[in-house]
Amino acid sequence: MASIQIEKLEKSYGHVSVLHGVDLDIADGEFIVLVGPSGCGKSTLLRMIAGLEDVSSGEIRIAGNRVNDLHPKDRDIAMVFQSYALYPHMTVAQNMSYSLRLRNIAKDTIGSAVAAAASKLGLDPLLERRPKALSGGQRQRVAMGRAIVRQPKAFLFDEPLSNLDARLREQMRAEIKKMHGDLKATSIYVTHDQIEAMTLADRIVAMHGGVVQQIGSPLELYDRPANLFVAGFIGSPGMNFLAATYAGGSVRLADGTLVALETVPALADGESVTLGIRPEHVVIANDGSGMRAAVELVEPTGFGIILHLSLHGLPFKIFTLDREALNSGKEIGVRFPAQYLHLFGTDEQRIA
Amino acid sequence: MRKPWLKRLAHASEPWLYSAPSLILIIAVMLVPLVVGISYAFRDIQLLNPFSGGFIGIEHFRDLAKDAAFYTALKNTLWWTGASVILQFFFGLFLALLLDKPFWGRGLVQALVFLPWAVPSFLAGLNWAWLFNPVIGPIPHWLFALGLMDQPGNILSDPRHAMWGPIVANVWWGIPFFAITLLAALQAIPRDLYEAASIDGANWFQRFRSITLPFLAPTIAITVLLRTVWISNFADLIVVMTGGGPADRTQIVASYIFTQAFKRLDFGYASAIALVLLVLLLVYSMLIILLRQTLLNKD
Repeated sequence: MASIQIEKLEKSYGHVSVLHGVDLDIADGEFIVLVGPSGCGKSTLLRMIAGLEDVSSGEIRIAGNRVNDLHPKDRDIAMVFQSYALYPHMTVAQNMSYSLRLRNIAKDTIGSAVAAAASKLGLDPLLERRPKALSGGQRQRVAMGRAIVRQPKAFLFDEPLSNLDARLREQMRAEIKKMHGDLKATSIYVTHDQIEAMTLADRIVAMHGGVVQQIGSPLELYDRPANLFVAGFIGSPGMNFLAATYAGGSVRLADGTLVALETVPALADGESVTLGIRPEHVVIANDGSGMRAAVELVEPTGFGIILHLSLHGLPFKIFTLDREALNSGKEIGVRFPAQYLHLFGTDEQRIA
Repeated sequence: MRKPWLKRLAHASEPWLYSAPSLILIIAVMLVPLVVGISYAFRDIQLLNPFSGGFIGIEHFRDLAKDAAFYTALKNTLWWTGASVILQFFFGLFLALLLDKPFWGRGLVQALVFLPWAVPSFLAGLNWAWLFNPVIGPIPHWLFALGLMDQPGNILSDPRHAMWGPIVANVWWGIPFFAITLLAALQAIPRDLYEAASIDGANWFQRFRSITLPFLAPTIAITVLLRTVWISNFADLIVVMTGGGPADRTQIVASYIFTQAFKRLDFGYASAIALVLLVLLLVYSMLIILLRQTLLNKD
């Protein structure tokens, strides 16, 4: 196991720059999740750590050693691919032992390493099968088994669960978390699924447009998103944003309503801001108070209910556990509790 | 009673009526000539002898068993086919591996590599015959300058080395077939397998052995089989370049058939040789297919 440092890492293909100076310090045994929409550079970053992409500038260090110019095979890392990338003409046991056989390790050592990994992942009855005779979940397990047999310095996961169905994804997510608890292995996990990011990570690295937007624990990103991108990306359904102007300790919405803030930010009166509030934090006011919003659509999810509203003509969402919301009429009143408000400036950065 | 009977007939004949056009074509164009050709092997057919044409049983095959020129041709066929297929395959594989790597202008080079395949075989033969000719071609002079030849002579008239002339021409002409088919197979290999293997610690050769070769194996088996059958039947280059000479040193079975049929005009004997070649190639193909089946069943 090892720590990984990334300094001012940049990547460009010709004139197209896809990573703009990424800095990241990963502690030994930490589980880091890189999350962001497609094309944000998260997979490129992972592949650069693996050595599958050249570094344009900057530095990657694994266990203190600069690895920029090392071949993937010399970096002592393991990777789980989205497509699993199992060798189709080898059995499960051969797939898992391939890296050890390449290192000319004694046969009985290989045998016990494979047996240990197989029993950990429940692959014992499948060891003599070929990958094509396995289901998606079993293939995923073999890919993980191939990674853990040789106890590398770090595990890299490139969207490993996105080819599985929802139920299996949930199950494998828990298994990965459990495995990390057992092995305490430094792991870097790429995903676009924020539930995976929230549940697995010690720290999340939110990326957008080749730039790191925020690094922090899952709850930090949820409670105090650093900017509009992170605020909108983390959480489902996504955060509501309303254009507003600052007015002495409160913000004034487009229709003139004043919304009180918890703290007083350093802003001048009349400055334009963006007010954010998560759908699950909006309070429905049944007593006729609050802002009036037209109900456009009601989506029961079983666990809760998502109300699609139109507030001042803009789309607005509420998530509530209250079944009464199913019977809401054409219009409801909404209130914004001050402690749940997020305030962003014109530069899209967090103010309060 | 009559209607159901007609209906039954119509139903029974329906599939035959649909397939009749292609069946008639196949029978007329392929089966009839084949049967006529096989029948020639058991008849005395010489174009220059108007009284020939009678049934003579296995007389031709008795002659063939004693025909020393036929055995020489059989040996030459093995030599010609083996050397051509092996060289074509290895150069083709090498070229395919090179073309699989991205580089500037790859599209153009891929198109150029296909070019020899587009040259008619007899033109290719003429070209190479001229290249080997010391009067107008450069190759003998190059070989002489390199010290590989005592004097800049014509390799095609040297009984010991004449076979190399057509083989070289055949290799040049046949590389594109292997290069293109193997390249297609190479490009079908998922890239992330190579990435996974390099992370697992495999070097270039280990990746080639444990990923590329297993993926190429079915293509290699089928292309080598096809090429072997084609090349052993392929007399164009030899007929154009050496005509089987000097002293039958480059005579293969296919060119021997050509010589018997169109130079001596003995169609009966030529058909008998052709029948033997057909049987040999069928046996070879069956063996390869059996081998392939056993290999596939092992999985």
